[in-house]
Amino acid sequence: MGKLQIHSISKFFPGVVALDKVSFEINLGECHGIVGENGAGKSTLGRILAGIYQPDEGSIIVNGQRVSFRSPADAKHFGISMVHQELLFCPNLSVAENLFLGNFPNVMGFLRKDKMGKVSKEMLSELGIELDVWQIVGNLSIAQKQMVQIASATSSGAKFIIMDEPTSSLSQIETERLFSLIKLLKERGVTVIYISHRLEEVFRITDRITVLRDGKYIDTLETAQTNESEIISKMVGRDVDLYCKAYLSHNIGKELLRVENLAVEKKIKNINFSLHAGEILGLAGLVGAGRSEIAKAIFGLEMNVKGEIFVEGEKVKIRSPKDAISLGIGFVPEDRKLQGLVLSMTAGENLTLPIINKLQRFSFIQHFREECIIREYFSKLSVKPSNHKINIAAFSGGNQQKVVLSKWLALNCKILILDEPTRGIDVKAKQEIHMLMCELVREGKGILLISSELPELLNLSTRILAVRNGEICGEFLHDEVTQESLLKVMAGVPCQV
Amino acid sequence: MPSVKNKISSLVYVLFNFREAGLVGIIIVLVIILSIFGGKVQYIDPASCKVVMMNKFLQPGNIDKLIKNTSFFAIMAVGVTFVIISGGIDLSVGSIYCISAVGGAMFLNHFGPGRLGDKVVPLPGLVTVGGILLCLSIGAFCGFLNGLMVTSLKIHPFVITLGTMAIYRGVAFIITKAQAYTFFPPQFTDGLIRYRVGEIYPVPMSIMVLVVILGVIFLSKTVTGRYIYAIGGNEQAARFSGIDVNKIKILVYSLCGLTAGIAAMIMLGYYGSASSDVGKGYELDVIAAAVVGGASLSGGYGSPLGALLGALIIQIINNSIVILGIDQNYSQVIVGGLIILAVLFDRVSMSIRETKLKYR
Repeated sequence: MGKLQIHSISKFFPGVVALDKVSFEINLGECHGIVGENGAGKSTLGRILAGIYQPDEGSIIVNGQRVSFRSPADAKHFGISMVHQELLFCPNLSVAENLFLGNFPNVMGFLRKDKMGKVSKEMLSELGIELDVWQIVGNLSIAQKQMVQIASATSSGAKFIIMDEPTSSLSQIETERLFSLIKLLKERGVTVIYISHRLEEVFRITDRITVLRDGKYIDTLETAQTNESEIISKMVGRDVDLYCKAYLSHNIGKELLRVENLAVEKKIKNINFSLHAGEILGLAGLVGAGRSEIAKAIFGLEMNVKGEIFVEGEKVKIRSPKDAISLGIGFVPEDRKLQGLVLSMTAGENLTLPIINKLQRFSFIQHFREECIIREYFSKLSVKPSNHKINIAAFSGGNQQKVVLSKWLALNCKILILDEPTRGIDVKAKQEIHMLMCELVREGKGILLISSELPELLNLSTRILAVRNGEICGEFLHDEVTQESLLKVMAGVPCQV
Repeated sequence: MPSVKNKISSLVYVLFNFREAGLVGIIIVLVIILSIFGGKVQYIDPASCKVVMMNKFLQPGNIDKLIKNTSFFAIMAVGVTFVIISGGIDLSVGSIYCISAVGGAMFLNHFGPGRLGDKVVPLPGLVTVGGILLCLSIGAFCGFLNGLMVTSLKIHPFVITLGTMAIYRGVAFIITKAQAYTFFPPQFTDGLIRYRVGEIYPVPMSIMVLVVILGVIFLSKTVTGRYIYAIGGNEQAARFSGIDVNKIKILVYSLCGLTAGIAAMIMLGYYGSASSDVGKGYELDVIAAAVVGGASLSGGYGSPLGALLGALIIQIINNSIVILGIDQNYSQVIVGGLIILAVLFDRVSMSIRETKLKYR
């Protein structure tokens, strides 16, 4: 009887269609897996169901009733709760206080701590969770926080619990504990919507699996009647024409960068590779596998980096981005707005930030030279609008990214580290950036490319390194690897080959 | 006539584009109100030696006093604006002002006429220069310590400077043994800071204008100035762009201390004495001036010219309470309320301007 129907839901972000008329049904009391590549729209869908995002088109139907959620509280009212990656708790309060957040038991405004403690203990023990309810939430492990979140959801009468990559930072034992909790929830008639790209887990605990690709609904399958390769082929699809064809250099030049035994405690270990002139080296891996940490370690942004880095054969010490930049390394960070740009400044000022100290005479900025350089890169990369005196915040994602890239091109960096360079930007800008990358390697630069978009990696990279759990777990030449096999290596599924 | 209309609209556009337009507007309104409702006083014109009636606000003596009062705050507000633009805050400017003043005062007093019993001061020029340098370097050094602690201890600058606010004043109290120091070489006081042209003391005002001009040039024309805006706008992106964030921050706090030292020097020369309780509560007026002047407490925005105008607005408001004969007991309430109103007006006029620019 009870069903959660998703009816033709679309969601648009500036320049990107995150979800495109997605429709399917989730049965009451099942564990429903939602899978897809990074950026397929899984998390967006989860957030829409939980009322965090509002759909631009389409509707959600709960038990035959059309509903629209303006906030997570609305969704909660209809029995839908989400277990978050970023947990929406007050880290400074205790477990009990968080469980009662919003409706503290009280007598004329005075807290009834005794009641709070007793009831919250019951709430947790019902789910078999043992925890001191007066512990401060900030001190709990991620797994414990998740448990508390689930308890808080069930106690408020949730019939649907959405979990978005719940195991991404859990240990093996903690994952097992979570799975037995999910089974318990199912027995009690709670529907679990399990969003993950870890197929192994999805196959273990779900009843049905829905596949999304590029924001589109592909298929829903009974878990018992399918297998991993079928799901992977549905996840990957075949339309890769959107991507610029790779420039495969036949004249790989001298070695630009080599790292030996690079390690950062608890993040990455044992990283060895080299990058040559005229080469795009791809780093593949799931979110949290340690790809960005490798990039940051090379760029001097990680503390306590062990191992050795060689630039053009010479051993170097990189303690800060300043050191890295002086060695000719440029870094386009993963989060454009948080790490790449100063949003309060103009586009031009952002572009010249790393190079401005070279455009000075007696420490006064030579505005004319600055202007020339800005103009040069604005026209070279066809940045729109062409007026560089406008605040960078007013530019679209693609044009912002072009400005970030120009920062390093203006410095004439030999080695470029690009972390998700085309995330969240429209197709045209994406192609332009791909073309630019090909041109750069043709000029003899070396690019270290990190991308969660497998087609992008596969098409552009001369070589691909797969990263899992902070270690390199495979190296492939351009024509040696397919999306399926790469995805398997990244996810840790044993290869049949 | 379309051409005239175009000219007017382009003039309006230029005025709109001028970041401090709202502040200038506020000042004009205040001045108009005070000139109309200020009342008249008898005033002896020095040129003709005749008694004339003059507006209380506009009489030269009042304007001079207003600008002199503004100069202390405006100079420090320029320094605090640097800190605020870089995303920090300095609560200790009032105490740095005090410790610099006291340090300079003790030096000038020691070599001044008082100690030597009306004898001629030996090497008065050297003593004057020494006193000035001492004021400035104490200020810069205290600021440097602030910067060093902010960058190395990784504690929020609010906390660090709250602590040093008490520490610096405490040190001033200890070294002076709570005494006031006076009797400075006249070459420093009447000969320099209190140098008189007619009824006007031009030196404090000139130093203020100089500091503001240097501040404007520093922030808009130099590499370091650009870095300060970048760090305040997004510290992480600045670091990712290879900027030595800590170095710039230490410099910014040192410069802020230096401006407190400059203000202290002017105060010493003008009043000819200092004790450990000068400049109490100044930090709030100074920060208020910077904020009224458009500095954003979240960093990334602000200008020295705005700081000057902000300080001027606050001083005019203070002055207007005297001029308009309002009960002194109400002054704090009125000043506080008007500061909020001034910032509100400025923000509203900014957002109007921004939407106008957007749809041009």
